[in-house]
Amino acid sequence: MKRRDFLKLGGIVAAASAVTPASSLLYAGKTTTSAIKYGLVIDLTKCDGCGECATACRIANNVATSPDNEKINNYWLRIARVKSKFPNSHEQAIPLMCMHCDNAPCVHVCPVKASFVRKDGIVMIDKHRCIGCRYCMIACPYKARSFVFKHNEGFSNPDVPKTMHGVVEKCDFCVTRIDSGRMPVCVESCKKGVMSFGNLFDPESQVSRLISSGKVHRVREDLHLGAKVYYLGL
Amino acid sequence: MKIYWTTINGKSLGMYFLLGVLAILAAAGLYATYAMFSQGHYITGMNNQIPWGLPIVVAIYCIGLSAGSLVLSALSAVFGQKEFKPFARIAVFVAALFLVGSLLSIVLDWGRPDRVMLPFLYLNPRSIFSWNGFLYSSYIFICIVYLWAMFTGRDGWIKPMGILAVCWAVGVHSGTGAIFGFINARELYHSPLASPTFVVAALSSGTALMILIIVSTFKATGRFLDNRLITGLAKLLGSFIMVVLYFVIVEYIVRLYTPSTCEPTRFVLFGGNLYTYIFWVGLILLGSIVPAIILFNPITKNSIPWISFASLLVVIGVFCERLIFVLPGQIFPLNLFPDMEMTSSFMDGQITWYQVSLPEIAQGLGILSIVAILYIIGLKLFALLPTEARHLEHEL
Ligand code: SF4
Ligand code: SF4
Repeated sequence: MKRRDFLKLGGIVAAASAVTPASSLLYAGKTTTSAIKYGLVIDLTKCDGCGECATACRIANNVATSPDNEKINNYWLRIARVKSKFPNSHEQAIPLMCMHCDNAPCVHVCPVKASFVRKDGIVMIDKHRCIGCRYCMIACPYKARSFVFKHNEGFSNPDVPKTMHGVVEKCDFCVTRIDSGRMPVCVESCKKGVMSFGNLFDPESQVSRLISSGKVHRVREDLHLGAKVYYLGL
Repeated sequence: MKIYWTTINGKSLGMYFLLGVLAILAAAGLYATYAMFSQGHYITGMNNQIPWGLPIVVAIYCIGLSAGSLVLSALSAVFGQKEFKPFARIAVFVAALFLVGSLLSIVLDWGRPDRVMLPFLYLNPRSIFSWNGFLYSSYIFICIVYLWAMFTGRDGWIKPMGILAVCWAVGVHSGTGAIFGFINARELYHSPLASPTFVVAALSSGTALMILIIVSTFKATGRFLDNRLITGLAKLLGSFIMVVLYFVIVEYIVRLYTPSTCEPTRFVLFGGNLYTYIFWVGLILLGSIVPAIILFNPITKNSIPWISFASLLVVIGVFCERLIFVLPGQIFPLNLFPDMEMTSSFMDGQITWYQVSLPEIAQGLGILSIVAILYIIGLKLFALLPTEARHLEHEL
């Protein structure tokens, strides 16, 4: 190799290493340094799809509700019924909500950083910053997000923020409850003990124990989003 | 030959009538927008399954019209096609106007347009929307500087500005395509071809629109227009159409071939629904094949009325392409549990149609009318048009 070629090569390497930090913007998922990462495990073998968690969620979180127009009736948590395409197959009820992805596409696409991942892993929306562009609804593979279509009067729970016309809302693991040491309302309201909530980093927590059983799956793991809602018996 | 630039007179009865109609449409659009915010967005056709409707289609369509015409203006400045110089000013002006139109359409589609400054305050480097906020606004700025260089006769500036503008136009279009192409969640969006397809569709619709604008403006203001200039543009248009068609075919064949994307693709192509017709009749037949026949057929390819007709078809065809791009990807349900059947009270696993609403149509027409009004005012205030457009050949 001639000296000039060698220098050229060195230049290319130097340029490439200067570009690398910028390119990390494009893909690397953010790693949090916090000692807490919340997760939820849903034991589908116990769930019969009664929908009590969904009702409790709607009331506890002031979810925008339009019973007369199902198109714009918002959901933070919904019960899906899933079965295989073969006849006589068993229909499984599956509670679905925001999966609190570590690599959340909704957070990636938000132009104003109104959607963000909190240090403890909860994906939240700053509704005072959201511009209502709805790009996050396009990007979320789980359809976890709803748009607040109109101004709402009357709120069921004065302890959590009201809905705001023109912004997007979704499950936040009942963040106000968590911050005051309580459990998310879906976990609390389920009488069959389907849901467990806790710190994924704590090896003693029930969620960690259930996950280490090796029998849990997440919805669409193929997308590599690092979802933190796990399902037993999916 | 020296080109003399003038303003239009703009005092004819027809002009006042046209302006009046446009003003009414614009007012209706603004009123529709006001209704969306005072009553609520449920009066539009969107819902939680289809968060992006007609306004987004109009926005990306306007962006397409914009960059195509900018490239046209650069033909003379950058690519040495000197004969197109008479159109340079008008093309840049139209490019800037359609960008304004598309920004209007995007911002008025937000739930909270009053927060319009926030994207500039809180840039998210991973968000394509953030990139586009930067690309679109700088693009308008580049157009203005480019126009200024032309008006003040700073010939040294024109070529570098033209090159910059062409690069920016490619960036703006790639960025617009990336809004959809980068979305992994939706089978009908996720595609590396989205950006290039946007660029070529923009070139094709932009050129077609410029032909229509030039022919009608020159005719309405009684200016001489050399047919050879229009046939030159028509040749370009013909090849752009073919490239768009090729890209669309590649895209859809790959999707049909892949098991995971086959079902939604069949829904669009062979589902027998509205989008099937928009695809085959709007985009393929009327938007590509018929104009291609007109533009390549020796009998029609030199006739201005035929070329104008073909351009009109292309402008409509690319609009169909935009519809096909934005809507079926949302109408076809998200695939949460592959190979399983899924239902819920939240429209999961079922096809949800988008019913376009009157306010959205009024808003779209209103925004296009605002663009048209600005165009007429621009012609009146600035010397954008040449006194005549002659092919330079004989002078050279
Ligand atoms: S499930 Fe959807 S809304 Fe929740 S974090 Fe993931 S992408 Fe965001
Ligand atoms: S709708 Fe709000 S939260 Fe969603 S991407 Fe837009 S600004 Fe972000």
